[in-house]
Amino acid sequence: MNIFKKHMTLYLMIAPVAIYFLLFAYYPLARGLMISFQEFRIIGDNTYIGLQNYITVLSDPVFWRVLVNTLLIGGGILLIGFSFPILVAISLNEVLKVSFKKFTQMVIYLPHLFSWVIIGGIWIYLLSPDGGLVNEIIKVFGGEPIHFFTQEKYAKPLMVFTAIWKDVGFLCILYLAAIVGISPTLYEAAKIDGATRWQEIRHILIPQLYPTMKVVFLLNLLGVLKIFDQIFIMRNPTIAREVDVLMVYTYEKGILEFDMGVATAASFFVIFATLILTLIARKLLRFDEEA
Amino acid sequence: MQKWKQWSKKYKTFYVLNIVFLILLVATMIVPLLNTLTVSLSSNIASMQSGIKIIPTEISFEGYVTIWQKMNLWLPFYNNVLVTVIGTFFHVLLSALAGYVLIQKGLPGKRLMMSLILLTMMIPGEAIMIPLYIVNKDLGLLNTLASLVIHGLVSGFSVLLLRNFFMNISYELAESARMDGANDFKILFNIYLPLAKPGLATVTLFEFVSRWNQFTPALLYINDSTKYTLQIALRSMILSNDATSSSDFITPNVRMAGIMIAILPLIVIYPFAQKYFVKGIMLGSTKE
Repeated sequence: MNIFKKHMTLYLMIAPVAIYFLLFAYYPLARGLMISFQEFRIIGDNTYIGLQNYITVLSDPVFWRVLVNTLLIGGGILLIGFSFPILVAISLNEVLKVSFKKFTQMVIYLPHLFSWVIIGGIWIYLLSPDGGLVNEIIKVFGGEPIHFFTQEKYAKPLMVFTAIWKDVGFLCILYLAAIVGISPTLYEAAKIDGATRWQEIRHILIPQLYPTMKVVFLLNLLGVLKIFDQIFIMRNPTIAREVDVLMVYTYEKGILEFDMGVATAASFFVIFATLILTLIARKLLRFDEEA
Repeated sequence: MQKWKQWSKKYKTFYVLNIVFLILLVATMIVPLLNTLTVSLSSNIASMQSGIKIIPTEISFEGYVTIWQKMNLWLPFYNNVLVTVIGTFFHVLLSALAGYVLIQKGLPGKRLMMSLILLTMMIPGEAIMIPLYIVNKDLGLLNTLASLVIHGLVSGFSVLLLRNFFMNISYELAESARMDGANDFKILFNIYLPLAKPGLATVTLFEFVSRWNQFTPALLYINDSTKYTLQIALRSMILSNDATSSSDFITPNVRMAGIMIAILPLIVIYPFAQKYFVKGIMLGSTKE
């Protein structure tokens, strides 16, 4: 007991954090698990109904549709959002003019700071058929205005595009930081061996980016499963079928329809998937070894 | 330019194409922003006329006045400032306290606390929105700005990041202060915090931006329109394409003015943000 007394101040210092996490992270997690096994009632006691909520979710065709949407939109963001910034970073690294390099970095980073309401507002207006810049340009070239946000075929690509637009600069700068950190002796050695610039990129630069790639991949992977605000903000009734994702389903079922048992069961699929994916990713990427 | 002459023809072609590619990329970022700025500065009537608008030709603050005064954007803006400033302050304070505790040697239960904090980073926040809503309801926090301050009051990421910063500070310095009779609070505030300024700046900026942009918690917890925060208020003002009744028609200049007002504080802190964000995310993602 004495040893605890000695460290009393330290325990006091961490107490608020401990209380916060217990109350607003672990307790909701446990409570959520409980609710997912209950028939939720606004008034009165909730009764346990076993796996009924999970069965309801799995037999709901809407759930399967939003799952496919999540995988397609998330997969698109993951694939392009992972590789495109690498391309931009390498491309920027080739630029010799420092002022151009700095300016480009500065500009492409900017959208990362904006909320989805702002990005939704900017792009919905840009692509709107009446007065939107993109359609004004199409008209100048003699084309017909396109109703981008109300056509199903554009819906998913638009979500992927805006997600990339927001984060490409941020991710690119992470890679650039890694590129700048590469030891010049590696290049010198390659020069002596008569390597071309392309060989240098292929065999020195890219391998040196692997640790950063691991971080970015894991960040993106966990991010795409829980996308909510982007979709919630940019969806509209005509494209909802195409873009609604798991978290939108949870929100609608739980908060709007008050079917909290089913909503929570649906969200636990995301929690289980996150846990499993993190464990697999850590194993596969041998995340703990370096970085 | 001397280098240019030494380059092979192939590399010259590549270099030019590369620059073109980057210019196009910059254009996709900068043109939408210029368009937003230009439209926000046009009059109600001009903003509804067609045409390509990327350079302001007239300056009218009609849109700004409408959204700020007539549509009362000042109130959600004020709420947002309140929640962001108070929330960020406590977030940084609590993260620093926890980060400090987690570098102490020989503290019983330290490993357990560390694991519990790290584990929270694996809980996807959005996925527990229903139980979080219920917890807030049970605590009587629904419809209060306090619920938004409390949401994300501390995060595993920030604790870890500050802990990593503190670890690089010499432990002997703290030990000698302890010999002189300084307690843990004194050591943290007088020795560690001043030496970890870049770390504090990183966490502060991260938190400021994410709180300024916070959307989902406000959507869940706030119903009362006098307590709306900026993102929630703006969503109904600038994205209300379903407002078909002509009396509520909001002209593009008003919408774009709303966007400009919301991003202004972010632009102001931007020069600092860029510098610290990269360092921060790399440090935060590093394990022990």
